[in-house]
Amino acid sequence: MIEHLLDLTVSAFLLAGLYATMAYGLGLIYGVLRVVNLNHGGMIMAGAYAAWWAHDQFGLDPYLSIPIILVLAFLVGVLTYAGLVRRLPRGAAGGVQSLLLLFGVWLILRNAAYLVFSGNDQTVLTSYSTKALPFLGAQISVNRLAVFGVALVTLGALHLFLTRTYVGKAIRAVAQNPESCTLAGVPVQRIYMLTFGLGTALASLAGALATGLYAFNPGFGATELLKSFVVVVLGGLGSVAGTAVAALILALVENFSILVIPSYLTSAVGFVLLVLVLVLRPGGLFGQRVLG
Amino acid sequence: MKPPRWFRWRPAAIVLGLAVALALLPPVARISVYTQNQLTLTFVTIAAALAWNWLGGYLGQVSFGHAALFGLGGFVAARLQISAHLPMILAWTAGGLVAGLYALAWGHPTLRLRGPYFSIATIGVGEATRLVCTYWDWFTGGSSGMSLPVTAGLKLQLYWYGIAIALVGVATSYWLRRSPLGMALLAIKSDVDAAGDVGISSVRLQDGVLFLSGLAMGICGAFNASYYSFIEPVETLGFEKSISFVFMGVIGGVGTILGPALGAVVFVLVRQYFIASYPQLYLGLFGVLLVLVILFEPLGLTGLSLRVARRFGYRERPDLST
Amino acid sequence: MRSLNLLFALLFAQAAPAADKIVIGATLPLTGSESRIGGFYKEGYDLAFEEANKKGGLDVGGKKMRAELLLLDDTSAQATAASLADRLINSDKVQFLLGTYSSHLVEAQSVVAEQSGIPYVNGGGGAIDIYKRGFKWLFGLLAPVQNLSGALMEWIDSQEKAGKLPKPSRVAVLWENTAHGKDFRQGVQDFVGKHRGDYLIEVDESFELNGKDFGALLGKVKNARVDLFLADAHLPDYITMQRQYATMGLCHKVQSYGARGSEKQAAEALGKENVKYILSSVWWNAQLGKAGITKHFVDLFKARYGRAPEWYQAVAYETARALFLGIEQAGSLDHEKVREKLAALQVESILPGGKLSFPAQSGQQAIYPFVVQQNQPDGSSPIVWPKESAASPGVAPNPDCK
Repeated sequence: MIEHLLDLTVSAFLLAGLYATMAYGLGLIYGVLRVVNLNHGGMIMAGAYAAWWAHDQFGLDPYLSIPIILVLAFLVGVLTYAGLVRRLPRGAAGGVQSLLLLFGVWLILRNAAYLVFSGNDQTVLTSYSTKALPFLGAQISVNRLAVFGVALVTLGALHLFLTRTYVGKAIRAVAQNPESCTLAGVPVQRIYMLTFGLGTALASLAGALATGLYAFNPGFGATELLKSFVVVVLGGLGSVAGTAVAALILALVENFSILVIPSYLTSAVGFVLLVLVLVLRPGGLFGQRVLG
Repeated sequence: MKPPRWFRWRPAAIVLGLAVALALLPPVARISVYTQNQLTLTFVTIAAALAWNWLGGYLGQVSFGHAALFGLGGFVAARLQISAHLPMILAWTAGGLVAGLYALAWGHPTLRLRGPYFSIATIGVGEATRLVCTYWDWFTGGSSGMSLPVTAGLKLQLYWYGIAIALVGVATSYWLRRSPLGMALLAIKSDVDAAGDVGISSVRLQDGVLFLSGLAMGICGAFNASYYSFIEPVETLGFEKSISFVFMGVIGGVGTILGPALGAVVFVLVRQYFIASYPQLYLGLFGVLLVLVILFEPLGLTGLSLRVARRFGYRERPDLST
Repeated sequence: MRSLNLLFALLFAQAAPAADKIVIGATLPLTGSESRIGGFYKEGYDLAFEEANKKGGLDVGGKKMRAELLLLDDTSAQATAASLADRLINSDKVQFLLGTYSSHLVEAQSVVAEQSGIPYVNGGGGAIDIYKRGFKWLFGLLAPVQNLSGALMEWIDSQEKAGKLPKPSRVAVLWENTAHGKDFRQGVQDFVGKHRGDYLIEVDESFELNGKDFGALLGKVKNARVDLFLADAHLPDYITMQRQYATMGLCHKVQSYGARGSEKQAAEALGKENVKYILSSVWWNAQLGKAGITKHFVDLFKARYGRAPEWYQAVAYETARALFLGIEQAGSLDHEKVREKLAALQVESILPGGKLSFPAQSGQQAIYPFVVQQNQPDGSSPIVWPKESAASPGVAPNPDCK
């Protein structure tokens, strides 16, 4: 029993890395632009297919293709912002509109993937796909460990970027008050574009990482999007530490729920948690207001 | 007796005339069974799209989880017909009531959230409902669903019931928009706090609209189960079902009175065409439509037709716009 | 232009089809998650139609009539399968229907056939619930799924009796939450109930059809330290689950995914070494084709497609053939006459046991024995049960487990 609990804890920690990566991009875009990027799910899917395609066509290891995928996804994000999102009013009225718009983009992306790759489930099979390392008596899959490692590095780099660089500080400033940023000479539009690209790139990174753990098809990303919402709502916006803690909470709750409820219902736990958090603590655990 | 102030003779006469003409189609024009079935499905889809719009359009709370209400109404009605041998109409009513109450159960707390947060919460509600209902197999039959008894002649009967349901949906839409109540809803949509300041009880009104929307959705779902003599949770409660209502609303014109009905007709026609020739492509097509509508014509087909009408010198009365 | 045509098709009844051919409608999952299997069924259907038409068509009361298949894609969605059946019957005016693949779609679709009074012969629905509804127009070629897990358990029992498996063996039953999965579970439970003391069910869990993450479920199995891993899954879920199974370093003395296990696609997606020793209990196996019409079918299939058929193609072929036989025996296209002949059908068959009929007491679901096969390290899947057809005794326990 103790071994089982240990197993669950370890796997929750490893999973939390992926969840945090997945959610951070969504939270960043909402925090800075006040736009709910429903296409986040689409970009997770696109990232997964990109990694799979590179591996399938050129035998490129999924972890090695990550830099290319990041750059491409960043460009997609910039284009999405410049071509579509910028045309909408920001603020309360624009909130639902941009949500629907980006949802439309997601559907188009999904269908494109369907036309190109068919609806079959795909998996990336590498030499180490089924390898595992012993750890405290448990077996830890090499892939999960690698995903966790990449997630840690990414989050660390993001934290440094946002707190130590000029651009990062500008992003944070725009998130707090775009008007005074304009007055202070910060190119707000460009910061918006950059942020959207960054968030989109993070989504595709999560997708590429997920290929090591899951099978996927063009519908992939929907569940991941919902889990990202849970993490964002729980952890509040923009804080790397908050996101990480929230991701860990979600992973722990999901993993340990198997002890009390049938395994079938464990995937519903995240959704219930989402609604409960929205209703009971709409400000997230760390107090940012998301209401109104 | 004087009709209420929101009542207008002309639209009422047009809608009623259309309904009577449609009702006479099967016996008089001898349309094919297939056409009749497609029309039946269109009627109930119209009603469902309108019911979604009461919340999504009139209150501005876009729900991505209405399939939960649609499906729950269907399951309750089907279960009551199978296990308790309740007559169909009674079972539909029960299904609608349960769906309405269920809508209140999650909607009452979440309607306080504005804008995207309500939408996000509804995604969670929809998916959780689907999972729980699928798991709960003694009630829903699990992923395989359950069959209702097959009765002869039911389809023609349902054709007429479908017209009636759509008609009630249209009348309710007019009432919710044009009555003083409708003005209050508009006030809530624009600014909840300000509406409260002028004495509008936003919580009670929102809950009322939500209940109505759930009730109508539940009845539509129950109707759907009777139509197919079959119901299963995976698609009935699926996310794609939920977003189909969003499509109809957005394409027809969110918040307009009859726009979603138009959207529903377009949706059924397009889907029916694509499903045989290019299955699964219709989602992408609706994605394109969604993007175009949001970017260029936020009032959808209604806005487009108003624009065309204005080009030809038509001037709408001020209270007709949206 | 096409959309205009559609509008007309929608508004006006179409003309009845020409009198010299028989139009038979069917839907299959040709795209979507089950598209691979849908493709297999299509191969079986196509082969049967080509064979019949090569002979000039079906002999209907002395007149040769060509058989034409009108096949639509149901994308493995229940509502779509039902709507398309409605379209086939009422708009395209097909005279008969062949079924789609997988129990939950057949369950939804057969309702439409029953409402319209049109013979519906399917080779894709094996759950007994489908046939318990007392439908008149529904005929099924897949023997009950309960017998599937029953056959599996019989082979396992023979291994336990031979001392190769512990007594009692600890069992994990994982079933997809569909009629198919429930029947599988029931079959295991019935067998265990009859052999008290020999088996202990330690894990009994359902999972979602087309699930993506089985980690929690497998974690539970791992913790329960079972000997036998008995799952029932469709092909996509089998691949996903087995991949996570291998990643978690799980290994059991006996492992099965119900009817799945031997598919080439799985070996390709998972790697040959990760599908070793998996048992599958199926409705048919090409190794049965040593003589008679079964050999004829296997040869015909190899000549047409250049590889050996799996059970999917065989059952689909036999499904179309059963409908053809019903029509020829009726000597007419009259729905009621063909239905009567199908209900009374007693013919030689390529199915195990060599006979096909649709007994009324099982709701017109064919009943015949299952064959159990096991993947071997060399990539083959010989029959291991029943004894009289077995090409290999089978391996238990899995020698790879540490």
